[in-house]
Amino acid sequence: MQWVVATAAFLASAVEFVEAFTIVLVVGVTVNWRSALLGALAAAATLALLVATLGVAIVQWVPIDALRLVIGILLLLFGLKWLKNAILRYSGLKARHDEEAIYEQNRAELRARGAVDASSSRFDLFGFLLSYKSVLLEGLEVAFIVITFGVSAATSTVSRSSGIASAALGALAAGLLVILVGAFVRIPLAKVPENTLKFVVGIMLTTFGTFWLGEAFGVEWPLADVFLLILAAIYLGAAFLLVVWLKRVKKQQRAQAIENQSAPTTVQTQEVNP
Amino acid sequence: MKIIKAIYNFIVGDMVILIGVALAVTILALINSVGALAPLKGFSGPFLIIAVLASLVATLSREAFSFPR
Repeated sequence: MQWVVATAAFLASAVEFVEAFTIVLVVGVTVNWRSALLGALAAAATLALLVATLGVAIVQWVPIDALRLVIGILLLLFGLKWLKNAILRYSGLKARHDEEAIYEQNRAELRARGAVDASSSRFDLFGFLLSYKSVLLEGLEVAFIVITFGVSAATSTVSRSSGIASAALGALAAGLLVILVGAFVRIPLAKVPENTLKFVVGIMLTTFGTFWLGEAFGVEWPLADVFLLILAAIYLGAAFLLVVWLKRVKKQQRAQAIENQSAPTTVQTQEVNP
Repeated sequence: MKIIKAIYNFIVGDMVILIGVALAVTILALINSVGALAPLKGFSGPFLIIAVLASLVATLSREAFSFPR
């Protein structure tokens, strides 16, 4: 057992596991746990298949930047849509459950076309895909960490397989720790109002989407993965400013509407009582 | 056609966001592939964040001002 390799792999993998688990957690709380866990399990199975067939060659054969690009774009599209609707709801420009009605309509359309299995009423394609692609991407990054750390630790006295085994144990410990912490966080999260959760999900998906899309184009974010927190803070601040601005817009629109309504009434009153 | 519309609605459902993200990706791809634009590579990160925020502001403005509520 090489403790230096195991510790390095533990720390690096913990960051990736936290990123993957965060998305599974929010999908579980906002969509449903069945879809979130099915997505995560399907991703784990895909990952196991990839690692089993490609082995160490996975580092050469899997185009991680292309995956980051596709997943980054999809997360940005999903995230911006959720964030937009959450901001509109907070500012009062949109009814609280409008989006759900539209979403249900879309699901019904997809189901009618056979894109969603109608027999499994609790399965949610959106939640499944979101969970699947996030776990797959982060899982691949963990696999890359384990292989690169393990291989680079190999010396004349330590074999390559021993290095990889140590790194894999470190990553496994990180994964178990993140799942354990997540299980405790799950219960208090379920008590948070639905709209607040959707707002947070929008911020997080946009944050991850921006981060991965940037990485796909070779952007080296300052402070590496810690920049995710800064990015989330930027989007959170911007979202609050937008809510304040839209509340003002709504107030002005309401005042304008009241003025427009009262103006003809005054003219009519003057005509009746000159 | 209906299936394409359903998939579009499922994934994004907002033309402004789609155009904003597509534009940002195209510009980033150009910065990365065109040699003359290589000095701009260092600004890719801030540009992406600004493009995302601009897309958000544009789609919210459209919602707020396009039709009376």
